[in-house]
Amino acid sequence: MEERPTNLWRDAWKRLRRNKLAVTGLWIVLALVLVAAIGPWITPYDFLSQNLDARNLPPSLLHPFGTDDLGRDVISRVIYGARTAFLVAVCVTVIALTIGVVLGAVAGFYGGMFDRVMMWFTDMTMSVPQLLLVVVINASLKQPIATWMEGMYLASLNPIWRNSALIDFVLVFGSMALISWPPYARLVRAQVLSIRNRPYVTAARALGLTNRIILLRYVLPNAMGPLIVAVSAGLGTAMVLESAFSFLGVGVNPPTPSWGNMISDGLRVWTNHPHLLVAPAAILAVVTVAFNFLGDGLNDALNPKGQK
Amino acid sequence: MTALLNIKGLTIDIARDDGPARVVDGITLSLEQGESLGIVGESGCGKSLTMLSLVGLLPNRINATGGSALFNGRDLLAMTQRELRAVRGSEIGFIFQDPMTSLNPVMRIGDQIAEALIYQKSITRPAALARAEELLEMVGIPSPRERMTAFPHELSGGMRQRVMIAMGLAGGPKLLIADEPTTALDVTIQAQIVDLVRDLKSKSDMSVVWITHDLALIAGLADRIAVLYAGTVVEDAPVQALFDHPTHPYTRGLLASLPTLSDAPMSRLASIAGTPPEPGRRPPGCPFAPRCAMAEPACAAVVPQLATVPGSDPRHRVACPVTTRSAS
Repeated sequence: MEERPTNLWRDAWKRLRRNKLAVTGLWIVLALVLVAAIGPWITPYDFLSQNLDARNLPPSLLHPFGTDDLGRDVISRVIYGARTAFLVAVCVTVIALTIGVVLGAVAGFYGGMFDRVMMWFTDMTMSVPQLLLVVVINASLKQPIATWMEGMYLASLNPIWRNSALIDFVLVFGSMALISWPPYARLVRAQVLSIRNRPYVTAARALGLTNRIILLRYVLPNAMGPLIVAVSAGLGTAMVLESAFSFLGVGVNPPTPSWGNMISDGLRVWTNHPHLLVAPAAILAVVTVAFNFLGDGLNDALNPKGQK
Repeated sequence: MTALLNIKGLTIDIARDDGPARVVDGITLSLEQGESLGIVGESGCGKSLTMLSLVGLLPNRINATGGSALFNGRDLLAMTQRELRAVRGSEIGFIFQDPMTSLNPVMRIGDQIAEALIYQKSITRPAALARAEELLEMVGIPSPRERMTAFPHELSGGMRQRVMIAMGLAGGPKLLIADEPTTALDVTIQAQIVDLVRDLKSKSDMSVVWITHDLALIAGLADRIAVLYAGTVVEDAPVQALFDHPTHPYTRGLLASLPTLSDAPMSRLASIAGTPPEPGRRPPGCPFAPRCAMAEPACAAVVPQLATVPGSDPRHRVACPVTTRSAS
């Protein structure tokens, strides 16, 4: 009997499947992706339409999560909040990952002066309190950008420049990516530093391959494992960050539904209408925990050392 | 025959915080086209570094600081990294010690061999893959077509070393440097790999440098053997002359420490007392003098130069005035 050939990913998948928590986390994350993707087709109500005759209703069959102070259906808003959360998490992670991988890989692989400057830059970014940085960016850039966009609108009359959600997203993505890339850069740099002296990299050099090919085909693919774990955890963190910033009013602004601004709104009336706080807070908690379970499971699955 | 490789007075230093420490101290070696040279010596005597320095692959903080290495008339040590890259693989092929870690674990072996060809020869991917399959067949891998898509961990150590050899040969190099390619393998596989390299060599006029610490292993492979000790060549001789008239006390010690079947049962293996000097702490005269049973007071003062051995092959040269004198 010939044994079925295995590889790193298949082995990791096998180990991941045995981890019940990680599988649960994976299902929750997949369900979230699905809900976010097909949101507009499954929400019972429009997330914006107000019904002033049905304000602050408790959960019922008509409104599973009740309605808010403007008579908007909460479950529809939670589902749209998943879209916001996912959009922000994915965009922020992709931007942060791109910056982190490029800077970390180049710094680790080529070393020297660029490495030192890059690490100063990373340390500097990490030394600024994240929340403060985001608040400062939002406070100082929002108005100038809004003014500039109004100018663009007047010049072009293209309604896209009047879309205030666009500013929110650009600022939220931008400022969150700005505080999220250093951990990726450090991780990739550390991986590259350890991989660039492995025998197969020396062997690739001895074949006359260029640095670029060696970095892209020999070093980076072998650094993927820890990076995948970091991305999984990073997506969860980005969702929490987005909620935190929206909660504080420096993230996604109403009327765009975000779990963070829903929690913020719910908190003001939670003694009378607890469902307005509980629904978004519970879903945020579940998703965060799911991402963490998945990240932990991936960590164990991709780093088999120390496993039984 | 013309000299393919001519190393003269090569020195390699490790840059340490307290100053440079010399690991290779004036190695002079030459290699003819089509010749196979065995380089023998203990761990840390500088044999691998010498070869790595030729293609600019010395590890960080270790640098070739002097001498020259003419390859086909061009000084490898004076080349830029870009020029060296063109030499690597296509003119000088390398086979490394540990086949377990010298292949990229996330790349199929066919792709790994083809990759080298695509960039060295600027040929298309299908042509490179076809050539890779030929190479796998040439190095004796059964059902090469199926193996093309295998990952390194699906192959045994011997198979992986064959893949490494295929990669080393991919560019059609004039010189193949094998850096202890059998050390990590079983004894039976070792013999297969040696046979394979001898076979491949006999089909072309490629030169081979085989680095090892196993004298017996290369006896059947090399035309000539250079014995290195503490970063210098102490004996350089055609293989027959070396085994017939081992002259340097260190070479004699190495040969004496080979076990043979005629040894009395339960007898102790001969060994050379002491350890080689650490880089940077070389004794002033002959580096082997502190361990040498035949050392004279003069040995500790004067660095011995390579000289011919009276009564042996004219190409047999030894860096030991004591033994070359007593042989006459």
